[in-house]
Amino acid sequence: MNRILLLATALLAPLHARAALDVVTTTQGLAALAQEVGGERVKVQSLSRGIQDPHFVDANPTLAVKLRNADLLVDVGLDLEIGWLPPLVNQSRNPDIQPTGSRRFTAASVVSVLEVPRGPVDRSMGDLHPAGNPHFLSDPRCARKVAEGLARKLTSLDAGGAATYQKRLADFERRLDADEARWRAEWAPVRGRKVIPYHNSWIYFLDWAGLQGAGYLEPKPGVPPPPSHLAELVGVAKAQGVKAILVENFYDRKSADVVARHSGAKVMMLPGDVGGTPQAKSYEAWVDQLVQLVSGAVR
Amino acid sequence: MNRFTLAALAAAALAFGAPAAAQEAAAAPGAAPQQTPEEKKKLEEQIAKELGVSPAAPALPPAEGAPPGITAPGVPEQTPGGAPAPPQAVQGQVGGNPFARLMMLPDISAIGDFAGVYDSRDTGNESPRSGPVSAPHQLTPVFQELELGIQSVIDPYARADIFISFEPSGVSVEEAYMTTLALPFGLQARAGKFYSPFGRLNQQHPHVWDFVDAPLALDRLVSASQLGGPGVDVAWLAPLPWFAEFHLFGQTTTPAFEDKEQRTLGGRVLQYFDVGDAAALGVGLSAARIEEPVFGSWRDLGGADVHLKLRPPWTRSYLVLQGEAFVRRLTAPSVPDQTDWGGYAQALWRDGPYFAYGARYDFAPAFQNGRIGIVQVDGTEHRLSAIASWFPSEFQKVRLQGAWDRLPGGQNGLELILQLEFVIGAHGAHPF
Repeated sequence: MNRILLLATALLAPLHARAALDVVTTTQGLAALAQEVGGERVKVQSLSRGIQDPHFVDANPTLAVKLRNADLLVDVGLDLEIGWLPPLVNQSRNPDIQPTGSRRFTAASVVSVLEVPRGPVDRSMGDLHPAGNPHFLSDPRCARKVAEGLARKLTSLDAGGAATYQKRLADFERRLDADEARWRAEWAPVRGRKVIPYHNSWIYFLDWAGLQGAGYLEPKPGVPPPPSHLAELVGVAKAQGVKAILVENFYDRKSADVVARHSGAKVMMLPGDVGGTPQAKSYEAWVDQLVQLVSGAVR
Repeated sequence: MNRFTLAALAAAALAFGAPAAAQEAAAAPGAAPQQTPEEKKKLEEQIAKELGVSPAAPALPPAEGAPPGITAPGVPEQTPGGAPAPPQAVQGQVGGNPFARLMMLPDISAIGDFAGVYDSRDTGNESPRSGPVSAPHQLTPVFQELELGIQSVIDPYARADIFISFEPSGVSVEEAYMTTLALPFGLQARAGKFYSPFGRLNQQHPHVWDFVDAPLALDRLVSASQLGGPGVDVAWLAPLPWFAEFHLFGQTTTPAFEDKEQRTLGGRVLQYFDVGDAAALGVGLSAARIEEPVFGSWRDLGGADVHLKLRPPWTRSYLVLQGEAFVRRLTAPSVPDQTDWGGYAQALWRDGPYFAYGARYDFAPAFQNGRIGIVQVDGTEHRLSAIASWFPSEFQKVRLQGAWDRLPGGQNGLELILQLEFVIGAHGAHPF
């Protein structure tokens, strides 16, 4: 009996055998990094798009179909995808991509996470991420760590590609070195300038850029700004010389426009991730666009 | 024996299904550098034979050491063999982790539903239903339900979801079931007590519904407390480029207006398609055959459901069009068959994060609660409902629902329900 079943399994096996590793990521930024490192040895698809708010993706069952045959699932972690990824993973019939599975790579696991709460947290503080701030990919230092982690993970799943992954990772980091030299030159004259982001999603980016946040449009994460809060922000913006209000382009810009009108700051609609604008085609192109838009606005 | 077969099968599936598995082994220190998948499979068979068929759990091969330089210290990554490194491992913390017990807790949540209800007539008797009702012209506060959810993985092979419902009528286990995570061939099984995979609304907890109450047809043709009970459900996800899932379930259930549990056998086909960039279409067909108390009598249920969600990816506003049709046929020896229809169609417009508006039409056979209990009467009841919902945050909602109800005799009734709902704790995300 066993033998028959084994035989049946053997017959089914070739359907699954492929040259390229099937990599599925939760966001387009992670997909871009996986593509950089994996090259032609991987086939990458993202469950969400850069124009989407990654907190609120629909758990459309057709996404579970993509996970079914995934050789690797790459997620951001820190509960960013808590509202939609778990049911998809549970529907996928792919045990190895469960949170502790051998084919799961959680990017946050290799990043030095900011804003990890030290004391008690509850939802009176808004819809915050109790494990720490998950919006780290716009910081190239974090992206490097994630790319390195991806190279290690891909190597562990596909040892034959070790050399390729190492070479492609080195290429990517070399290009980032050159980019960063350029980007540092953009940041140098605007160091210490103040901005107001909409959601608490630019803390890593501001830290990298040497900019400072003077507050958030949202009084608490996920909570809409009441007029009282906006009035307060106008005061803060005027007093501290805030130059720009940073808003991901999937958010409503109405409240940002109000603060801008009364304070003289500029509203910058930013791509939230790779693919967030037509220009942001790759990781480098995305960060490049962020640098141009934000440094231009605070100059 | 079955278990062993399954274990061997799963082990084999793992070896074949994962072409990279052999390469993992190749990368491990001490392993032959050039082990091919064929060699690994042969070795695995050999080992299985030596062990008298793998007694080990199916999905987890023994841990192998991480290849040097592959896993950074302190990085909670898997070793290639599958043995997880402790997550967020911090080395050398004095006294160990003081939160160890907390970290093992399952997700615990509570959802409370309360309502104020106004009915213009004696709805409880003239139009019996599961939703909240009031005496004629008496605005009445109603405690609907407190749901306690306890959810967690059990081990690497399965998870458990438990929902305990506290209602005015008492405490009941709404659902408590185990779901497998590691069956091969696209199979997934649930065992325990659960709502039957029959139609769309029947499987959802009431707090997930877009309206405060169930359509009359679900109450009267399927079950007033939603069809469900102890049993087993096996679902196969077909290897197709779209989502196509086939369910077979065997349960004991309590169908509409029965008080005894009856043996039930059923099936469901659910398919989902992406329609362009901004729409998802789900269509389902369900059937169930339920034993009746009288020998040789049957209750057959059929259902068809459609769910279309239109949402451009960059926004949180969306439109959902949804409808279900239910048919119930009663067959008994020496009595003519009786077939009844019902259904609903609804539209819901979610206007950004904070508001939603919906309209629903539903119809069902008329029932009345008289001296001899709840009985079906001639004719069809039609109802139109409208709802406005406000979501101050992701964790509470306030909804106002108005319904205009028309009984077969031409009597009309108005019903207004103002409902408050909150959720605390970690409540698992709901399926689409």
